[in-house]
Amino acid sequence: MIRIAAVGDIHMAPESQGTLRPAFDTLPECADILLLAGDLTRHGTPEEARVVAREIRDLPVPVVAVLGNHDHHDNRPGEVTAVLEDAGAQVLEGRGVVVPCGEARVGVAGTKGFGGGFVGRCAGEFGEPLMKEFVRYSRRRADGLRMSLEQLGRQGCDVRIALTHYSPVPETLAGEPLEIYPFLGSYLLAEAIDTAGADLAVHGHAHAGTENGMTSGGVRVRNVAQPVIGRAFHVYHVHAREPVAAGDRSG
Amino acid sequence: MSHHGAGGASGAPGAGDNLEYRVARLKERLAAGPLAELGVRLEVRGEAVLLTGTVPTARCRDEICRTVDEELAGHRVHCDVVVADASSPDRAEDLA
Repeated sequence: MIRIAAVGDIHMAPESQGTLRPAFDTLPECADILLLAGDLTRHGTPEEARVVAREIRDLPVPVVAVLGNHDHHDNRPGEVTAVLEDAGAQVLEGRGVVVPCGEARVGVAGTKGFGGGFVGRCAGEFGEPLMKEFVRYSRRRADGLRMSLEQLGRQGCDVRIALTHYSPVPETLAGEPLEIYPFLGSYLLAEAIDTAGADLAVHGHAHAGTENGMTSGGVRVRNVAQPVIGRAFHVYHVHAREPVAAGDRSG
Repeated sequence: MSHHGAGGASGAPGAGDNLEYRVARLKERLAAGPLAELGVRLEVRGEAVLLTGTVPTARCRDEICRTVDEELAGHRVHCDVVVADASSPDRAEDLA
């Protein structure tokens, strides 16, 4: 059994320094890994990223993160990523990482993701160049997620987790105005998750949403935006799948 | 700076004082300002405005409530914004 701690949308700035560290210091008692689901800062400045870095530096559990839209606001996602990685976090965008947790190998595939909406109520790649680019950008994020989940599958991970900022399903947005759902997530992320397979999908972004959801392929989804979970993080116990005999593996 | 208000050469009289549009502009300001706040909902309820949502710090909440009070002077503002709980969870969810 793997113990996954996760939180998103902590929106840190200099004034919030130290607010999460006391809770993060309890992580070794209850979790094997900490996932950060984006919007770690307010404006995406390196200064704000350094606040986050001080909250997570030298934690005794591995930290894996994706950035959110706020972390892109200052147009310096590379610098924000570098600051967080210097503090020991793995910051994913269209790639995966394998984290040893005791005897098990946990694979986390991450992307910020993007919006576009959900089946039957979504933007299409049609019309103005800006509109086409909007949808293509979302599709590229989803493709990156699918490919990294598939790669983690080939690497024989015991548990695979999809980590995004935007939501893959509408269910975990319940509580948000319906009219803004297309800005909160995209079914392309769920399609990627269901195509490649995962044991859990974790996202943030929707502060007024709901914690629990599921993709149409049966993968459990958790919205871990801090305003939703109402704590410094939530912990999910994920059970490793039964090992598949080598001869039974396909693909 | 904008100059909306009654007596303009074009547009609906008093559109600049329309509470709905003032709230919409204020929401844009909160998002673009130093707090980068997109998570607070402002809803017009008759002549009053209701603020709801969760923010990271008490300072952030106070700043938002103060800004909204100032910007919407003359209207009653109910600030139900709460500060995120930063305590450790007391239980885990088993996804068996």
